[in-house]
Amino acid sequence: MPKIFRSVIVLSLFISTTSSFCQDLDSLLNLNAFTQESELQKILNKNVAVSSKNGLTTRETPGIITLITSEEIQNSGARDLTDVLRLVPGFDVMQDLQFVMGIGLRGSWANEGKVLVMMDGQPFNELLYQTVAIGNRFPVDAIERIEIIRGPGSAIYGGSAEYGVINIITKAAESLDGVAVYGLGGFHANAVGRTNGGVMAARRGENFSWDISAFKGNGIVSDQQYHDLYQSNGEEDLSKVTRADPMNINAGLKLGNLSFRSMYDQFETSDPVTFVSNKNFYADLQYTLKVNDKLQLVPQVKYYNQIPWTFGSRESGEKDFSARATRLLTQLDAMYDFSRKVHGTFGLVYFQDQGTDLLAGDLFNGNKTLKLNNFAFFAEGLFKHRLANATVGFRYEKNNRYGAAFVPRIALTKKIQNLHFKLLYSQAFRAPSLQNINIALDGVIKPEKSNVFEIEVGYQFTPEMLLSVNAFSINTRNVLVYGSEGEGDDFSEWYENSAKSGSNGVEVVYSIRKKVWYAHLTYSYSQSIKDNTVATYEVPDQRQYVGFPKNKITLNTNFNLTSKLTFNPTFLYASARYAYTTIDVDDNPVLSKLDPYLMANAFLNYRGLFVPGLNVGVGVYDVANAKPGIAQAYNGGYAPIPGRSREYVVKINYQINFKK
Amino acid sequence: MKCFKLSFMMLALYCSVTAYSQTTNYQVYALFVVNIAKYSSFPNVSSDLQVTVYGKSKVYDELMKQSGKNVNGHSLKVTQAEDITDLGQAQIIYLADGKSASLDDILKATEGKPIMIICEREGLHKKGAGFSFIVTENSTLRFDINNTELEKRQIKISKNLSTLANSTI
Repeated sequence: MPKIFRSVIVLSLFISTTSSFCQDLDSLLNLNAFTQESELQKILNKNVAVSSKNGLTTRETPGIITLITSEEIQNSGARDLTDVLRLVPGFDVMQDLQFVMGIGLRGSWANEGKVLVMMDGQPFNELLYQTVAIGNRFPVDAIERIEIIRGPGSAIYGGSAEYGVINIITKAAESLDGVAVYGLGGFHANAVGRTNGGVMAARRGENFSWDISAFKGNGIVSDQQYHDLYQSNGEEDLSKVTRADPMNINAGLKLGNLSFRSMYDQFETSDPVTFVSNKNFYADLQYTLKVNDKLQLVPQVKYYNQIPWTFGSRESGEKDFSARATRLLTQLDAMYDFSRKVHGTFGLVYFQDQGTDLLAGDLFNGNKTLKLNNFAFFAEGLFKHRLANATVGFRYEKNNRYGAAFVPRIALTKKIQNLHFKLLYSQAFRAPSLQNINIALDGVIKPEKSNVFEIEVGYQFTPEMLLSVNAFSINTRNVLVYGSEGEGDDFSEWYENSAKSGSNGVEVVYSIRKKVWYAHLTYSYSQSIKDNTVATYEVPDQRQYVGFPKNKITLNTNFNLTSKLTFNPTFLYASARYAYTTIDVDDNPVLSKLDPYLMANAFLNYRGLFVPGLNVGVGVYDVANAKPGIAQAYNGGYAPIPGRSREYVVKINYQINFKK
Repeated sequence: MKCFKLSFMMLALYCSVTAYSQTTNYQVYALFVVNIAKYSSFPNVSSDLQVTVYGKSKVYDELMKQSGKNVNGHSLKVTQAEDITDLGQAQIIYLADGKSASLDDILKATEGKPIMIICEREGLHKKGAGFSFIVTENSTLRFDINNTELEKRQIKISKNLSTLANSTI
């Protein structure tokens, strides 16, 4: 064999051995330190940003979290956000005034400034009272996911997130790269419950992305007969005298590190006598500046222009109340990675709220306008240690009228193999809003403040199965309470601080996700604190507040009957509640006990009918016609809204993806 | 008897549970250990290349599956020890997470000897171990190397192995 030939063979053998060694080593580079994720773990291991700006997984993030995916919403056939929230432990839907529905959480009324609701980063809490009207309002079929903190979020989000945060992310803003249309029809035996529809389009590129979506609907609040509390009007057919009509236009642009979002939202609803209108405009500009590997700065400017809670005569359309509320907000966030295990987030916020009377011009103590100036600073540190992740943070906010609020929070969380635990302590506050300050009793109002302790323990029995249990204790001081008396020209209303309110309880979530089926079983228990001072919430001799059940059980199950067909039954059981349903001989509202109810729903969903991307669903909500009434969450002169009767639901959506 | 039955059921449940959950993948840790051995050279290896797992770690079960394999012409021998006096003639000591506090004692006991110490717990390479594992942000497993300590112990590692390290000192 010639020498050169032998050398070539030896060299090629050496190269092949070396390269195979390198291959051995290279293959080590991407090996995961953990066993393969199941479908459930893929959801649980997602980083959630809602409870901490330093993204941690749902099992380690410093908050009690519920994550709802678009798949779960689509499979369940949810008609609106109400159906989604009712399946979340601790959440309930109650009545505010004038048939406007709001959120109750962990046994307490939370509509006014206690739960922050955001869609694509824009807060839906209006600026006059900080309420969020729900019902047939949000485009559920356009939602990519919902991140919920079932606990306080003030340290990050400020004075509208005392009890909870709901962060809705739409498909157009997050994942869609194409065009999608969707429609929903809800039909009762004798009335059309709702007809909603929407369209979305989005294009995603490396440096330039855009999205635009529109949603419009018509609906009713109920299809039942209604007698008002004081029996002053005759029985009314609510399918003829109420409405719940949403509209939303949402557009976003992203150019490199610059992003802009603008949204217009309108929600028109009514009770038999009064219409209520909410109009909100949002514009949000932010820039992400990566200074170096460790430091990131995000300056942003937001502008909100709203006409919330306009109300007046449903018949004549004449307005009794109409005011504009605006907010101009500037914020600078800084994220700094001190090391691989220590992260810090800091923020400076300045915002100015302004209320302007749009009717007589004297709404604000004889003036046309009221201005509030606010300054806030927040900081949060995340320290990752092998024994626990520690999150320590605070927010300081100062308002030119009501003064300052300082709320710290501390959290210890850790997932150790199958087990995870969370120990959370937060202070949270509710900032008095324009109207809270405007009609404050004797002109004095303080921020409401809560001390919240939470503990959660979770255990993953198999990759497909997780059981988590949490207990909470909420003590709220200086509770902002609405009061009113008289009628017509003698009518007066005010806000005042009541000494104490709050609740405590437990929540249990059992989730299982197999290849062909999944289920979420939840149980929540809450009771009012012993020394509550807010009379309007109180049920005498009972440890529960008006309108709330002590116990709630939900079951959401889905079966993949074929690769395209799913069947999704959901069940909701609520124990006895108390509500103001009638009056006594002296015309004082009287509490009655409402029976426990079981609401069962079923939905069939077919994906890829005739063509890929075309999905059709049919289902029935409230199969047993339980019609649970929606009680007013306080003694405010409204009888419960009679629950809707059985509703047949049809959904259709079609999505075309752009070519990559 | 009832108590026994209950305990047995609990044990069975625990076993079935731990076997199927998404947990630390010790198979990957064992694979790393074998490859570290493969790309290192020790001055004192006779016939067997001995890896001793100090403390309780499931990596021992995974390494046992590799026992007897040929590593650079030596047969891989895997043992487990609970006491420093039982470390024997190991070329590699794998320090289980639960025994991390014993690192100083092991360093003293093996000072100057060509024994490589690989730690399960992150960051211990800074305290004198030759290698310590680290789980990165995206959950992949890597290791940190203390070259100074390895050189003191006359252990050489290949450049290819060094380039895989998350960090070296």
